[in-house]
Amino acid sequence: MRSTFRISLVVVLALMGTSAFAHHSRAMFDQTKQVALVGTVKEFQWTNPHCWIQVLVPDSSNPSAEPVEWGVEMGAPVEMMRKGWKPGSLNPGEKVTIVVNPLRDGQHGGLVVSVTGPDGRIIGRPAETPR
Amino acid sequence: MMANVIRRIAVRRVPWAIAVTLIAGCLFPAAGQTSSKERIKAFAKLPDWSGIWELDAFVGQADGQQFSAEGQRRLKEYAAALRPSFTSEYKAKYDEIRKKVEAAIAADPDHPPVTHEPLCAPPPFPATSTPGMYQWRVTPEETTFISTVGAVRYIYTDGRSHPPKDELWPTLMGDSIGHWEGDTLVVDTIGTRKRLYMGELSGFFVPTSDQLHFTERIRMVNHDQMQIDYTVEDPVALTKPIHAVIVHVRVTDFNRMVEETDCEQNERDPVVNGRFTTVVK
Repeated sequence: MRSTFRISLVVVLALMGTSAFAHHSRAMFDQTKQVALVGTVKEFQWTNPHCWIQVLVPDSSNPSAEPVEWGVEMGAPVEMMRKGWKPGSLNPGEKVTIVVNPLRDGQHGGLVVSVTGPDGRIIGRPAETPR
Repeated sequence: MMANVIRRIAVRRVPWAIAVTLIAGCLFPAAGQTSSKERIKAFAKLPDWSGIWELDAFVGQADGQQFSAEGQRRLKEYAAALRPSFTSEYKAKYDEIRKKVEAAIAADPDHPPVTHEPLCAPPPFPATSTPGMYQWRVTPEETTFISTVGAVRYIYTDGRSHPPKDELWPTLMGDSIGHWEGDTLVVDTIGTRKRLYMGELSGFFVPTSDQLHFTERIRMVNHDQMQIDYTVEDPVALTKPIHAVIVHVRVTDFNRMVEETDCEQNERDPVVNGRFTTVVK
């Protein structure tokens, strides 16, 4: 695990982002940070290759300002369904709290870590729950 | 008038001709074919690999689609087992690729470079170690591997050989022939494309030559576990064969195959100038 191979493994895992994302790396997300987005669902995209949530997040320091739209990425529909999600798990207008690993480039986007729905419960199975 | 006569004769004769052909086909199967009874017997000797399967490292993924701690441990084990021992020529090639990748990452860590070909295309051979679920279709003449991420492999078990060299060209899955040793399917594969071996378990950028040769021994260890023993040989690129045992497990929380590669539906991580970007709106 040391020497050249250590480097290759690090590169490989960095490129993979140690994720099961089939078609792209997760290295664009800062996995050392977590941001909680408290807002309203604008759109839930149950789509390939990945599901997305568009969420409108008000600026708590300036309530009169326009809310900021974030686009946050999830797994593929099949992966999400296996985690307990369904195509109708979220609907426009619902209040949610979404914890994400933010994009490293500063755009308003991120990788979803968890979503708390309007009923106050986390949607889907908690992280690392054996299936 | 003459045309009508010919038509009447044809109408009367054709059903007889079809019937005679069908009966003859049943009584005297063509060379290389087996009768239905023989084929049913051949089926009965084959193992039952039905169900849906996936790589064991994918079990227990976190919500953020990360591998679980156990999954990461398994991946590291696999990567260690798959560690290539390059010849000096291919070590130099590997180092060159690695330096380019590292330099590209360092230049813009926010937008990782694309270093592997599959993206949304089917993953390359062996395709069993990529995300997604898969199934096996076992018949006496052929075993077919079908995955939700678009990979299909055809493993011929009808006694044929690989095609001659002048009829073989590099393809995503190469050419696979196999035979049964008890309940173990032994698969021999050549003709895969270069730099794609073992997909993400060992790195997308491992250089190999056109002499790359795989042997797989595939068997069910128990009802819920399959094991694939890989031997990877490349006398030009590797100083010694690679041997790894990869474990696959039965999927129990989902009971249907759903195609997952339709990236055009909503591609929001497009590649721009060789790097991944993200469209947030």
